[in-house]
Amino acid sequence: MIAKVSNGVWIGQEPDYDSPINRGSHCCKGAAVRDDVLSERRLRYPVKLVGGQWIRISWETAVNEIGDKLLEIRQKSGPDSVYWLGSAKFTNEAAYLNRKLAAFWGTNNSDHQARICHSTTVTGVANTWGYGAMTNSYNDIRNSKTILLMGGNPAEAHPVSLQHILEGKELNRANMIVVDPRLTRTAAHATEYVRVRPGTHIATIYGMLWHIFENGWEDKEFLSQRVYGVDEIREQAAKWNPREVERVTGLPEAQVRRIAELFAKEKPATLIWAMGQTQFTTGTANVRASCILLLVTGNVGQPGTGANIFRGHTNVQGATDLGLDVTSLPLYYGLTEEAWRHWCRVWEVDYNWMESRFPNKLLMETPGIPSTRWFDATLLPKDQISQPNSVQAMFVMGHGVNTITRMPEAVRGMEKLELLVVCDPYPTAWSVLSERTNGTYLLPACTSFEMDGSRTASNRSLQWGEKFVEPVFESKNDYDTMYMFARKFGFADLMFKNIKVEHGAVSAEDILREINRGGWSTGYCGQSPERLKAHMRNQAKFDLVTMRAPKDDPEVGGDYYGLPWPCWGTPEFRHPGTAILYDTSLPVKDGGGTFRARFGVERIAKRKVIENGLEVEREEHDNLLAEGSYSAGSEIKDGYPEFTLGVLKKLGWDKDLTPQEMEVIRRINPTKPDAVSWSIDLSGGIQRVAIEHGCSPYGNGKARMIAWNLPDPVPVHREPIYTPRPDLVADYPTLPDAKQFRVPNIGFSVQKAAVDRGISKQFPLILSSGRLVEYEGGGEETRSNKWLAELKQHMYVEINPADAAERAIKDGGWVWVTGAENGSRARMKALVTERVGKGVAWMPFHFAGWFEGADLRAKYPKGADPIVLGESVNTLTTYGYDPATGMQEPKATLCQIIAA
Amino acid sequence: MSLFARIRLVTFVLLMLGIVAAPVCGQKLGPDGAPNPDASVVNQRTLLEQAPRVEGRIDIPDVKASVLMQPAGRTWEYFHEVLLHWGGAIVILGMGALLALAYLILGRIRIAAGRSGQKVLRFRAFERFSHWLTAASFVILGLTGLNITFGKILLMPIVGPEIFSDVSQIAKYLHNFTSFAFMIGLVLIMVIFFRDNLPARVDVEWVKQGGGFTESRHAPAGRFNLGEKMVYWLSVTAGLALSVSGFMLLFPFYRTNVADIQLAQVAHAVIAVLFIALILAHIYIGTLGMEGAFEAMGTGEVDLNWAREHHDHWLAEGLGRETNRGAPAE
Amino acid sequence: MARMKFLCDADRCIDCNACVTACKSENEVPWGINRRRVVTINDGKPGERSVSMACMHCTDAPCATVCPVQCIYPTDDGIVLHNKDQCIGCGYCFYACPFGAPQYPQVGNFGTRGKMDKCTYCAGGGGSESPGSPEEYKKYGSNRFGEGKLPLCAEMCSTKSLLAGDGDIIAQLYEERVNKRGYGSGAWGWETAYHEDVKT
Repeated sequence: MIAKVSNGVWIGQEPDYDSPINRGSHCCKGAAVRDDVLSERRLRYPVKLVGGQWIRISWETAVNEIGDKLLEIRQKSGPDSVYWLGSAKFTNEAAYLNRKLAAFWGTNNSDHQARICHSTTVTGVANTWGYGAMTNSYNDIRNSKTILLMGGNPAEAHPVSLQHILEGKELNRANMIVVDPRLTRTAAHATEYVRVRPGTHIATIYGMLWHIFENGWEDKEFLSQRVYGVDEIREQAAKWNPREVERVTGLPEAQVRRIAELFAKEKPATLIWAMGQTQFTTGTANVRASCILLLVTGNVGQPGTGANIFRGHTNVQGATDLGLDVTSLPLYYGLTEEAWRHWCRVWEVDYNWMESRFPNKLLMETPGIPSTRWFDATLLPKDQISQPNSVQAMFVMGHGVNTITRMPEAVRGMEKLELLVVCDPYPTAWSVLSERTNGTYLLPACTSFEMDGSRTASNRSLQWGEKFVEPVFESKNDYDTMYMFARKFGFADLMFKNIKVEHGAVSAEDILREINRGGWSTGYCGQSPERLKAHMRNQAKFDLVTMRAPKDDPEVGGDYYGLPWPCWGTPEFRHPGTAILYDTSLPVKDGGGTFRARFGVERIAKRKVIENGLEVEREEHDNLLAEGSYSAGSEIKDGYPEFTLGVLKKLGWDKDLTPQEMEVIRRINPTKPDAVSWSIDLSGGIQRVAIEHGCSPYGNGKARMIAWNLPDPVPVHREPIYTPRPDLVADYPTLPDAKQFRVPNIGFSVQKAAVDRGISKQFPLILSSGRLVEYEGGGEETRSNKWLAELKQHMYVEINPADAAERAIKDGGWVWVTGAENGSRARMKALVTERVGKGVAWMPFHFAGWFEGADLRAKYPKGADPIVLGESVNTLTTYGYDPATGMQEPKATLCQIIAA
Repeated sequence: MSLFARIRLVTFVLLMLGIVAAPVCGQKLGPDGAPNPDASVVNQRTLLEQAPRVEGRIDIPDVKASVLMQPAGRTWEYFHEVLLHWGGAIVILGMGALLALAYLILGRIRIAAGRSGQKVLRFRAFERFSHWLTAASFVILGLTGLNITFGKILLMPIVGPEIFSDVSQIAKYLHNFTSFAFMIGLVLIMVIFFRDNLPARVDVEWVKQGGGFTESRHAPAGRFNLGEKMVYWLSVTAGLALSVSGFMLLFPFYRTNVADIQLAQVAHAVIAVLFIALILAHIYIGTLGMEGAFEAMGTGEVDLNWAREHHDHWLAEGLGRETNRGAPAE
Repeated sequence: MARMKFLCDADRCIDCNACVTACKSENEVPWGINRRRVVTINDGKPGERSVSMACMHCTDAPCATVCPVQCIYPTDDGIVLHNKDQCIGCGYCFYACPFGAPQYPQVGNFGTRGKMDKCTYCAGGGGSESPGSPEEYKKYGSNRFGEGKLPLCAEMCSTKSLLAGDGDIIAQLYEERVNKRGYGSGAWGWETAYHEDVKT
């Protein structure tokens, strides 16, 4: 995007035709961003709530008062009682800084929107083949012969991707199959539409696999060389005969068979998904099932194939990568001592000092509370929360409250907080939803257009964004805000040791350089600000389909656009980035790769075998490394483990390390330098040497069909907590109650109670939620944008004509929708449409500002109320959390609708 | 109007009246019985063959925006720019020619017995007020209305586009607001002259006598002869129709769609043109065409002989009434 | 001379409304005026198609013909512009327009619609203001065309569904697309707007 700026005012927007990702195009939100900056509805200056009134204060007062209160809570209840909720709208640098701030503060309670968006994808996919991100790219879909969309509506959620999907579909005359409960705008362009019941993804996939195995359509060579555990999947799939599939999903045999056949035979085939798979209690298992389907059909690691996982917000990919996550430090290092020591080395802080910031080492290494449960961590009795104290302060930067389920309880949680700080360009629903009268601060943040920084697109490409205009009014960018608080907390000098701060202005470039210095594990090490800026200058040179620049270009020669991670080694190593993950047809130095040997070299499995007519338990050593498969140019023609100095030595390749590199490696682990791996080697030498020998630094392993560390090692169909089919719960119950992420997950009890109480009779309609193209996330920003707000002026529920007729509901008429928990209810308009099938209701999730029929407009700070307000779907959504990630379940619950 | 034009107009009106059939959605299924959305797409031509307008869903509150296409706009344009121009010109100029011809052939119809010098009250002040209210507003409406259709041909070349635009702007508001005066007048006229315009036996005789236009005969009539009654009924009908269609145009898209508006405009224009022609005749007979007629609406009093010759029954009844009241006319 | 047209390839349109907000932003179009809009036919049914529609800049534009003050006229490039100074807000152009393009700032009771506003093909206005001037921008919106650029709605279209430019070229582009992919629901509105259809 190119901005026209006159006298510091953004007066126009020009399409950036050279961008290989969007080729100048936008959706309505992108085309209207100018009003995000110009909007008169922006929060203009810091305010605090005093006796129920918003009072203007200065930044200095705000930072002092908030800082004092936070330090008091830290003193009184421990650092874990402050929750740092970050944002997918952050730049990479701000996301990283936010995680670093939480670390310096001494807590892992640091999360962002990925929790409710693709946390299950990251966990599920990473646990299958190494990295939890889109394997290919939007552009690469142009190569697909079969495009299967299950649980995604990119026409409304990722409109620009449709440019690639539809053009690909046209050029290849590709099959485009949409499996969705709604006939979406995406489905309208499909060659086949399959209407499925929400929450039956695993059953559908097993149904497809049943046909694939039955007919021998699987890719046997691929499976034997690169995949572990297919036998277990065969066993599972055998249970899902067409009758059982139809009983659970409602899909007739013919449909399941045909989409299975197309997907297995008309290759390359890609599977696209978004929140239609992730936002379930079975989210992690859902995406694992998808990966398994890709593996069985050999549709990974080549152009036109892969798991094309569409991420939502501007930078949800980058914020996820950079560790705004309760389970990890930046770049998926996790929370182990090794991880902490690695980042302490990068930050040049003493590990012991860092440890002293936490109540104890255990909490330092224990995942925090997911954003979906913050109010449970506030409301539940102390003894039910596995940390010293409940959550007493929320520090929210760019995250809505209305995108999280169970809002009536969130409201009570808000009322119990001692301190609520919201740093956002808009007041957001946090400012109006509760009966709080004090202890609430709103800090005006600027938008992305008023600051520099990089963002990571869904395809792992990084793009550098230049500041268009200075922050409007008194708003500040996220870096400077965090710097002010770090200074208040007394660790600014330490935290910004290697980051230039001039007159309170933090250098985004320096933050990226620090990320580069520590980002080895995910290949965030090669994307220096200089290289990224060169890419922005040379956008026109990248190919539309391969995204690669010609080799001879002086600035970006041979690079893939945006240096999609992993971009190995130091920036000087000039790795081109990796456009397609696990692509063995290319050398690693040209962006090729293997499956990551992340799960060890072998698995010792105990299996019962019949020996001499007796059943005995035998220990078997299963090889987890690839067999006979390797990336082009690899000097090791087989599987191999991840690289350490020790491995290099065994291969005799350690001689290729420079003395300087050896020096750095020795300093990392003076006692056992052989243990220093590719991911913590700050010199980049191990990566460089491995790649120069044609090898993936992370090893060459098999993708796992059995993820033995997950609650369900192989995907198991489980009914949603609030299912319209209580008859299936006996066969497919949710997992038992357990404590996860410091809080109890009582999904099993809730499901059982719902079945016992006959909830599905009182609330006979399935309620699912999703996106509108006009709005984004909680919608505060977009509903304040006059050009967008005009297009969708009312919250509504989509209801099938048959259901509407039964209830005497008219299109455009007002209705009350009641939810299955908390006696919740919401008033909105009805949109009577055949988009949804009978028995299904659907709502967009971007609305807020009304609560259970009451208009809260008067409670916003004066002049900062969004143009459009409405009921939030999450007033009605219910309990249900994925045991592996804490993901909520807003895609499948129950409701009732009556005419108002 | 040529025959072709007539056919087009009729077709157009029929299209307008035709129920907008819900576009048939030819859903196509894949080999496995699942819908194939892509193959089910209906070509725009097919849609237009099914219904005169292509309508869909749109989420902005402006409901008329949900009409994607209405080729009938072109038909309406054809009506407005071709049929109405020619038709209007022919009808109005034709009527003028007809009246000129009548004048040439019949000349001014004189009071055969000459003026008696004695006056009879024909229209009371309030009746005259009602008439002139309606008449004046009619003239304004007619002229401003004609300006919308013919102004750009007749007036704009003379005054230039800027002045013409200003004039037309004023004319538009004049038309829109004068309409209320006209409607009030119309209602008054309708009520106060209603009884005297009911059909009566004498009307048959009046027709038999050729309405008195043939010199030798005497056509008997009540307060209003059949000719006047026809003017009354036609005017009332046309006035009401103009009011209704005018209201639709004045409050566009209030429970109407673009087709309704087009129809309303066609009706408004056609009726207005015919109405103007009718009123031209009315004016002619009330002024130039007949001696002693204008006074009825002028001073309200007519010559006794005029009354005797044209409204003998009324005169007889009226004189009787006046006598009874004991206030003889002067 | 090239004759400018719009063509919405409905088989590409996904109702993302980028064209709508691009237009709003580029021309600072006020709330309630919808120079461009997207209508969805057969919504929610298999066979659904969305079409982006604005002024098509018709050949023999009916709006221009019916305008009682003749303030609407085609330029040499086939762009239909109008002069707001002359417009009397009678609403006739809306009745005649096959595409619902003309917009009015007010609801229009008693004929108080205000000056008609519509898509200008981002080519400024048809009044006396000098092309590209702030006065012209205020009254009509931007004059990209004068800078050698095409309307922003088409330029920003997320799926390259909405095409703008020389009618022959975009017709050819569409034709090629249809031939390549094997289907097409037609060049929406072309027959009505331009008395010709794209042969596919």
